[in-house]
Amino acid sequence: MSNTESETQTETEASDSLITTDVETGSNGRSAPSNRTAVAARDLNVFYGDEQAIDDVTMEIPENRVTALIGPSGCGKSTFLRTINRMNDMIEVCRVEGDVEFGGKNVYDDDVDPVALRRKIGMVFQKPNPFPKSIRDNVAYGLKIQGFDGDVDERVEESLKGAALWDEVKDQLDSSGLDLSGGQQQRLCIARAIAPDPEVILMDEPTSALDPVAASKIEDLIDDLAEEYTVIIVTHNMQQAARISDRTAVFLTGGRLVEYDDTTKIFEDPEEQRVEDYITGKFG
Amino acid sequence: MATDTDTARIEGFGEVSRVRGIIFEYLSLGASVLGIFALAVLLVYVTIDAFDLAGTSPLWLLTYFVTLVVPFLAFCLYSARDREVTRRAVTVAGGGLVAVAAVFTAIETFVGQIPRLNWQLAYLFVVVAPLTGYLVYMGARGRPGAVGFGLVGRLIGGAAIGLAFSVLFLVFDERLWFLAYTLGIVPGLFAYAYGQLRNSSTAVTAALPVSLVGVVLAVFVRDVLRTYPTTTFIYLWTLAIPIAAAGALVVNARGSRTAALAAGGVPLALAAVVGLFGRAIGLGVGGPNALLVIALAGVPVAVYLHRVFDVGEGVTGLGLPVLLVGGALAGALVVETFGIPTPNSWVSGTFLTEAPSRNARDAGLYPAIVGSVIIIAMVAVLSFVLGVATSVFLEEYTADSGVVGALTRLLQINIANLAAVPSVVYGLLGLGLFANLLGFGFGTAVTVSLTLSLLILPITIISAQEAIRSVPDDLRRGSDAMGATRWQTTKNVVLPEAFPGILTGTILALGRAIGETAPLIMVGAATTVFSAPSSLFSKFSAMPMQIYAWANFPQAEFRYGVVAAGVITLLTILVGMNGTAILLRNRAERGS
Ligand SMILES: Nc1ncnc2c1ncn2[C@@H]1O[C@H](COP(=O)(O)OP(=O)(O)OP(=O)(O)O)[C@@H](O)[C@H]1O
Ligand SMILES: [Mg+2]
Repeated sequence: MSNTESETQTETEASDSLITTDVETGSNGRSAPSNRTAVAARDLNVFYGDEQAIDDVTMEIPENRVTALIGPSGCGKSTFLRTINRMNDMIEVCRVEGDVEFGGKNVYDDDVDPVALRRKIGMVFQKPNPFPKSIRDNVAYGLKIQGFDGDVDERVEESLKGAALWDEVKDQLDSSGLDLSGGQQQRLCIARAIAPDPEVILMDEPTSALDPVAASKIEDLIDDLAEEYTVIIVTHNMQQAARISDRTAVFLTGGRLVEYDDTTKIFEDPEEQRVEDYITGKFG
Repeated sequence: MATDTDTARIEGFGEVSRVRGIIFEYLSLGASVLGIFALAVLLVYVTIDAFDLAGTSPLWLLTYFVTLVVPFLAFCLYSARDREVTRRAVTVAGGGLVAVAAVFTAIETFVGQIPRLNWQLAYLFVVVAPLTGYLVYMGARGRPGAVGFGLVGRLIGGAAIGLAFSVLFLVFDERLWFLAYTLGIVPGLFAYAYGQLRNSSTAVTAALPVSLVGVVLAVFVRDVLRTYPTTTFIYLWTLAIPIAAAGALVVNARGSRTAALAAGGVPLALAAVVGLFGRAIGLGVGGPNALLVIALAGVPVAVYLHRVFDVGEGVTGLGLPVLLVGGALAGALVVETFGIPTPNSWVSGTFLTEAPSRNARDAGLYPAIVGSVIIIAMVAVLSFVLGVATSVFLEEYTADSGVVGALTRLLQINIANLAAVPSVVYGLLGLGLFANLLGFGFGTAVTVSLTLSLLILPITIISAQEAIRSVPDDLRRGSDAMGATRWQTTKNVVLPEAFPGILTGTILALGRAIGETAPLIMVGAATTVFSAPSSLFSKFSAMPMQIYAWANFPQAEFRYGVVAAGVITLLTILVGMNGTAILLRNRAERGS
């Protein structure tokens, strides 16, 4: 970073704060980078009918790291996320070409059961969507449908602690998950996603419906989650991407992956002018 | 009117005509008021006929008004605890009395005689009945009122369900049920409970197959086994004990173990003693049906009592049943001592428990009531199960595009059209398909129930589809993303959310099925049967059929008194059933 730092700073005054935040937290979180790949896309093309939403994307997402996907609206971030756990199968017009490897196996192979795949990959949606059940039943949902044989209550407690929600709800586990605030609901959804102990957690703009305080709680949480899980997060918030992620992938319109590198590199010294323009808010 | 002030305020900008809106508003208001008024007048006359109120002495009315109605209204006022409400009630009751008497006398003198009405009755219907409704509503919002009505509701509802069960066992073989319960359901429940306690999912999954095997086994053992326990014992073992256990579990979950034992044990012991020995020790009641009624009313009441005392609010409300029974007894005592002539009501104990007769005074509705209850139960189960299954299939399982999608749309249009087919046509279908082709017989309960289920199936399907569609997609995606299969998502997320809506549709549709006569006539249901059906394939009648038959009798007594009594019975059962279903639905809505 040292040799290009001055150049970046002079070029883009506006991004100063971004860069500083990034330097402070983005790199200090976790130990030496793991070389293992959790998810890899190879020559991935996704179409909705005739319209192409992902254009020839190849990328490797490292294990136990936070990878952020950023880019302007409609560039295919959510689509990319959904190809990983095959939620695109539910959309009838959607067609996927190329490979998405998870644990060394192409998830689009014929012998892969998408339901079994999704049990290894948790997902958190943009809008909190707890089930209209008790908090306990919400967290235990994955365990129930997977026929979990162990101590459910213990796992519920662990997951709620993992989602930094336990202290707030430990006395009201039997009340409805819908009675919680938006931020609490989103953490409940995170607890629900981690309860069956998946390997990867996908998050599609998990904080965009929340106020800054609730959002920052979830950001802290994501930082902790990366100790155990591979987190792939879509966000429209540059500061957020800079603060919490280790790697950042920038998609631009048409579903092309323009640049994918360490977060520090992307935010300080992007190779592509378009990426810099996007990050600094010149377009997008 | 809001529109008037709006017009005034924007005068400075010119006028915007609201004439059409206002005309429409008043026309629709007038139409609905007219409709409700006509219905009310009809109901008033039916009630007068059914209870022979026209021939009632005003003294008799006054007695019960003082001993029963006034204390009840006072209870409602006490519960509402609102000066404003009390003031309004007193004004309406007093002012209404003067107004009704004056208007009535004026009409009688200047316009002409009003048939079969006097001012006391008019006062009863025009002032007391609506006032009671209003006060019940206000009273139920206070704690004592809510508690009192809750208690009375559980007493009446439990007893009604107990009676409905005993009616169903007239045609369903209780010995087969005994075997199926003992060999299938009990072991299955044990496996399930064991699995839950020990966290063993194998035991939980084994529960259903175990039950099914047991039920199948029961069918084979039924004819092999020679000796069976008495019906009373069968009801005790298969119904009273599990209900008591469920009640005890509910109380136990709320806290105390001793209270749980009492809440389950006391009603159970009472039911068992009365059921087994009631006749022998000279109680006058006893036998299997008494056992069912006591158990089904007693356990919910005991559970409710525990909760009321636990919460400790509105305990005085528990006196409501005492107040009502005491009021009725006091009224009867006064009537007895002073020799006040009692009205010769057509609706009476014998009317509900006797068979039809040539003699109007002896005529009863019992076989038709039994027939209707059995038909309603079967139609409810059939149309609910079929309706839910079809709508789940259409909404959750079929694709939107391609050949399957086109087929689904075709099916969809057909279902919508079927809802508009006249019921006579369904009758014809039932006659051809169920009675002739499948050989279920003319006018048997099976044929009638299947035909009526078919008749309301489109309505149930469409409303269930609507309810399923209104479940947000977010929830489905959330469940899918957890790795739930489509069936798991449907069962755990979609159906619980859609349940209240599905129930609403089914209730509405059932209301239609109960009142139908045309398809019943088509499939050959009898207008009159003289004994209650003993199997699903014996000749049946239903309440609307019997009422229709009576309406054609030459004697005026039948055409007015007995028909009115029949209509009142039919309406009471219908309203009671719908009311229960709506309460259950509201509870499900709140619970989720
Ligand atoms: N279900 C669908 N059917 C058809 N086209 C779709 C569907 N979902 C997305 N698309 C199209 O695919 C493209 C990418 O959409 P996607 O939702 O992946 O974008 P995104 O990057 O997540 O945008 P945003 O930041 O606004 O969420 C868009 O052009 C969109 O119109
Ligand atoms: Mg998106």
